[in-house]
Amino acid sequence: MRAFGCLALGLATIGLALPAKGQGPDSARAREVLSARCLKCHGGEKTKGGLSVVDRDALEKGGDLGPAVDPDEPGESLMLQAIHHEDGLEMPPSGRLPDDEIQVLADWIKAGAPWPDGEPLKTVARDAPEPDDDDDASWPYAEVVRPAVPTVENVAWTRNPIDAFILARLESEGLAPAPEADPRTLIRRASYDLTGLPPTPEEVEAFEADPAPDAFERLVDRLLASPRYGEAWGRHWLDLVGYAETNSFERDAAKPFIWRYRDYVIDAFNRDKPFDRFTLEQLAGDEVAPDSVEAQTATGFFRVGLWDDEPADRPLARYEVLDDIVTNVGQGFLGMTVDCARCHDHKKDPIPQADYYRLLAFFIEMGPQNGLETRKVGPEKVEVMAAVRKGREEPHVLLRGNPALVGPKVEPGVPTALGPAPTFDAGPGKRRALAEWITDRRNPMTARVLANRIWQYHFGRGLVPSPSDFGSLGEPCTHPELLDWLAAELADGGWGIKRMHRLVMLSSAYRMSSRPSPEALAADPLNHEFQRFPMRRLTAEEVRDSMLAVAGALNDKAGGPWVCPPIPDEVLAGQSVPGQGWKVSPPAEAARRSVYVHVKRSLAVPILATHDAADTDSTCPVRFTTTVPTQALGLLNGAFANEQAARLADRLAREREGDLAAQVRLAVLLTTGREPSAEESAEDVAFVRSLQTEAGLSERAALAQYALLALNANAFLYLD
Amino acid sequence: MSRRDHQFCGRTRREFLWETGGGFTATALAGLLSADGFLARQARAADGSTPFVNPLAPKPAPKPARAKSVIFLFMYGGPSHVDTFDHKPDLYPLDGKTIEVKTFGRGGKKNEGRVVGPKWAFRPYGESGKMVSDLFPNLGTCVDDIAFVHSMYAESPIHGSALLMMNSGRLLSGNPCLGSWVTYGLGSENQDLPGFVVMLDKTGGPISGPKNWSSGYMPAVYQGTVIRADGVPIHDLAPPPGVDRPLQRRLLDRLREKNEEHRATRMENSELAARIASYELAFQMQKHAPEAVDYSRETEETLALYGIDRPETADFGRKCLLARRLVERGVRFIQVYSGGAHNDDNWDAHGDIVANHTKHAGRTDKPIAGLLKDLKRRGLLDETLIIWGGEFGRQPTAEFAEGTGRDHNSYGFTVWLAGGGVPGGVSVGATDELGSRAVEDRCHVKNLHATILDRLGFDPDALSYFHGGLDQRLVGVEGARPIQQLV
Repeated sequence: MRAFGCLALGLATIGLALPAKGQGPDSARAREVLSARCLKCHGGEKTKGGLSVVDRDALEKGGDLGPAVDPDEPGESLMLQAIHHEDGLEMPPSGRLPDDEIQVLADWIKAGAPWPDGEPLKTVARDAPEPDDDDDASWPYAEVVRPAVPTVENVAWTRNPIDAFILARLESEGLAPAPEADPRTLIRRASYDLTGLPPTPEEVEAFEADPAPDAFERLVDRLLASPRYGEAWGRHWLDLVGYAETNSFERDAAKPFIWRYRDYVIDAFNRDKPFDRFTLEQLAGDEVAPDSVEAQTATGFFRVGLWDDEPADRPLARYEVLDDIVTNVGQGFLGMTVDCARCHDHKKDPIPQADYYRLLAFFIEMGPQNGLETRKVGPEKVEVMAAVRKGREEPHVLLRGNPALVGPKVEPGVPTALGPAPTFDAGPGKRRALAEWITDRRNPMTARVLANRIWQYHFGRGLVPSPSDFGSLGEPCTHPELLDWLAAELADGGWGIKRMHRLVMLSSAYRMSSRPSPEALAADPLNHEFQRFPMRRLTAEEVRDSMLAVAGALNDKAGGPWVCPPIPDEVLAGQSVPGQGWKVSPPAEAARRSVYVHVKRSLAVPILATHDAADTDSTCPVRFTTTVPTQALGLLNGAFANEQAARLADRLAREREGDLAAQVRLAVLLTTGREPSAEESAEDVAFVRSLQTEAGLSERAALAQYALLALNANAFLYLD
Repeated sequence: MSRRDHQFCGRTRREFLWETGGGFTATALAGLLSADGFLARQARAADGSTPFVNPLAPKPAPKPARAKSVIFLFMYGGPSHVDTFDHKPDLYPLDGKTIEVKTFGRGGKKNEGRVVGPKWAFRPYGESGKMVSDLFPNLGTCVDDIAFVHSMYAESPIHGSALLMMNSGRLLSGNPCLGSWVTYGLGSENQDLPGFVVMLDKTGGPISGPKNWSSGYMPAVYQGTVIRADGVPIHDLAPPPGVDRPLQRRLLDRLREKNEEHRATRMENSELAARIASYELAFQMQKHAPEAVDYSRETEETLALYGIDRPETADFGRKCLLARRLVERGVRFIQVYSGGAHNDDNWDAHGDIVANHTKHAGRTDKPIAGLLKDLKRRGLLDETLIIWGGEFGRQPTAEFAEGTGRDHNSYGFTVWLAGGGVPGGVSVGATDELGSRAVEDRCHVKNLHATILDRLGFDPDALSYFHGGLDQRLVGVEGARPIQQLV
């Protein structure tokens, strides 16, 4: 959260609590005004700005800006400025009080704000921020304890403990799990899941013909070993860190070597780098391995965000960069919206404002001097975050999140809600210590959050459906025991992610059909219980990559600098300098996978943007699935779609020369993995013929229209 | 063609369309699924069985609305208020003198500068006697329908962040724009056209381009669609060469048959029906959107009213005329940019205020006056809120040692509003005698946003969208009050 600006009286210095002064002007009337005008926000339902006006001590203690009443020089009291709306301090914020009330208060304050009887104003008790749900107050902040695997009746269905957790719930609801999906559905599901690409017709046919009981296991292993795997799963991580390759703001200048971070992420997934090491390298690669190009590249984690090269307010702009980092660490690793505590204590979760600044303190010296800063490490230039402010900056709470209102100094520290944590040294090595704490087995959050994300990307919905917010504003966990079991398995298993994929994908739950029985649909229409496998639409990248793949045009070259596929002129016209920062790549390069397409914050490739690619300005824990006519317009009329349709038509004509029925069959196989029924095939053939005989198209043009149709079909865009 | 020419899975086309297209509109009209429901559905990512509701279906405003549509005339670059609508008689005699005045522009913060006296005379117009500069002889005749806010201030004097502030309420990109909030809250009356459209200057978009019409953290369905006032109005609207409408219909018919066969065993997944319907909507859009930019039925007199008969005003005139036609067709939020790209292609008069503002006012004065008059005589002005303004104003002093150019000024500037239940012939707030900063009834950009939301029937502090653990609002977590004199 980034909003602030409202001024308030506020915390910080702690004034000496002197005894109340003697009799003065109309203190009874003054306290009536306080009760009527100030108490609601300052000591009643809230203590905005840390200030309470409930009694004399509270006024002298003051709030974020210091004492409200200055006992030594009452005429200089902040509260006087505030009620007179001086120097930007305006209380109440809704407008000045009537003059007579200001007069009463002013006389009283100038007299030292006497409080003769010492009786506090009548207030409502201030709620400490606590989770709403009493029953689950400890979850998810309690240490992960591996739960017992439940017993079930239908033992035969359970291939591993995941199935026992799912089935136990289904049985208690009187539901049966959906039957196993057919081999063609399974290979299409698994191929997209692990690689983001469709299986080839040959792969489909070979898998269907493989009678071995371990056929699916071997398929999963083959897909996990494919270099395409890291491109698909690395993209999930890039969503979470808000990966983009430009700075946004006026110039939206490129971060010229940041693509090395993208390659690092892809490579980490492909090599199954344990998540604790992955975390350590990204947060502290410069500390743990200063001479390693790989570890330095990993710290690109700090460089992917927005960066204002011409800020109106420099200190604020610096804290915006740090806010991105705190947000990504808090939500990405811990599933906690720590960023909500930037200006005030978290409204719902046990995250005080100081937690935000303690976490920020780990990164206080991080901040690029300029947006293009690179550091030469080893033989290659690597985009790293220069630690330019080392030793000069002390972390403080910023009152109301405002860099101009400096509050108490803080030490680096992790969210207090997560129980006892080590003390962290403010000096070098603190980010390493943070990374080690993040993946410590005793940290309750990281393993739960990551296990949930793995489940989410396989099943389309997390066990906690709000995967970056495990707090009380997120959505409750549907299967807490299963999640804890997965989290324990992840952490105890050495943080290997491919191991978790095998575990999840080899379960019976993963292999279920997506077709619900009428009973299941009636009992659980939203599939909370995972009674069936959830259908999903292809992601933006999968849409584009699949069109290239089935057209036979996909260039699967991995890694390296980004590519810029052509973007129509009318889209470029939206830039202030049309075409700037988008040097169109040669055709073969333009046909590479979407993960290698330039992520320019102020310009998006239309087919990716319309199919709900991740927004580049903030962390994206869940992709939307929107359905709008502009998607249809793009896939019917757009240059990219028609180009791929023409290539697909060429492929059909080339590979099944002169045999329209075979061409139609190949198109359906390529785009859906299925054999068309005899009826569908006949109707498709009749359709292509009618385009020639009735609409006057050439054989080639008719086939291209059919290819376009195949690329627009729901059976192509949706996975069972 | 197949034997099932007019049938889909045994049902007639009429039944089919009701179930897909008509069905979901009717559902949405009944307001059966709240915005929260939509969001929950999105979060569940293809759960496959929540009823589909078109997120752009019209929704009633929470309280009685004075405006149904918004036309935001964005004077990109920052018009000089002291040369346009904020009359500063004391500034003329100071021309050339160096005075003490605090300014903050792209050149940084300064404490003194050489005054550039206003370069145009002002004269009173209308019953209100409002003083307007000679840059706007046509708009001058409309002042009794206009409410001027002279005490605007913003948080940044840098184009990129100031544009985002005016469009989204924040200095940083990634937040939904005003048009996104409005279509999120109200939907749009016409499903054959986008609900939030943006018309760009022919020289290019503003700095940060699409970030200025982005839906940010909201679904992409609420982002602005760039629309052109001539030729093919919407990207990818026209079929490619060699494909005519009957051919596309053939393709769509076969596609629908195949999609229906696919859906027959997946009836619980409403997304599949929605996607089928979206092709029918796209087909309708192809038919109706070009009609919106077909001006052949407009009279010569109307075209002349907008200045379409003159080369210097024809381009912006067509955009203003299209804005009226879109309002008539139920489009919710229309933004028209005057100025694009960089430097003197927009109102960013750093070097020569006379040349720059003569050009941009000359291109827009007649069309905007024409738009106000045309809306008024058609009875549409009452329900259409017009906003005119840039991302900031300009300083009273020169930027450079020589010349009449002015640097940016976010300490004080003027915007005006008309129609949509805003009173005419009034002026709110004031800058100091130099025009250097707002001093009376200061209005933050958020107060302007709150005013717009109020006129559309929202409580600005109540229109929220849950994101990142927080109920986000256009006017920020602290909220903002509408400008009281205008509501």
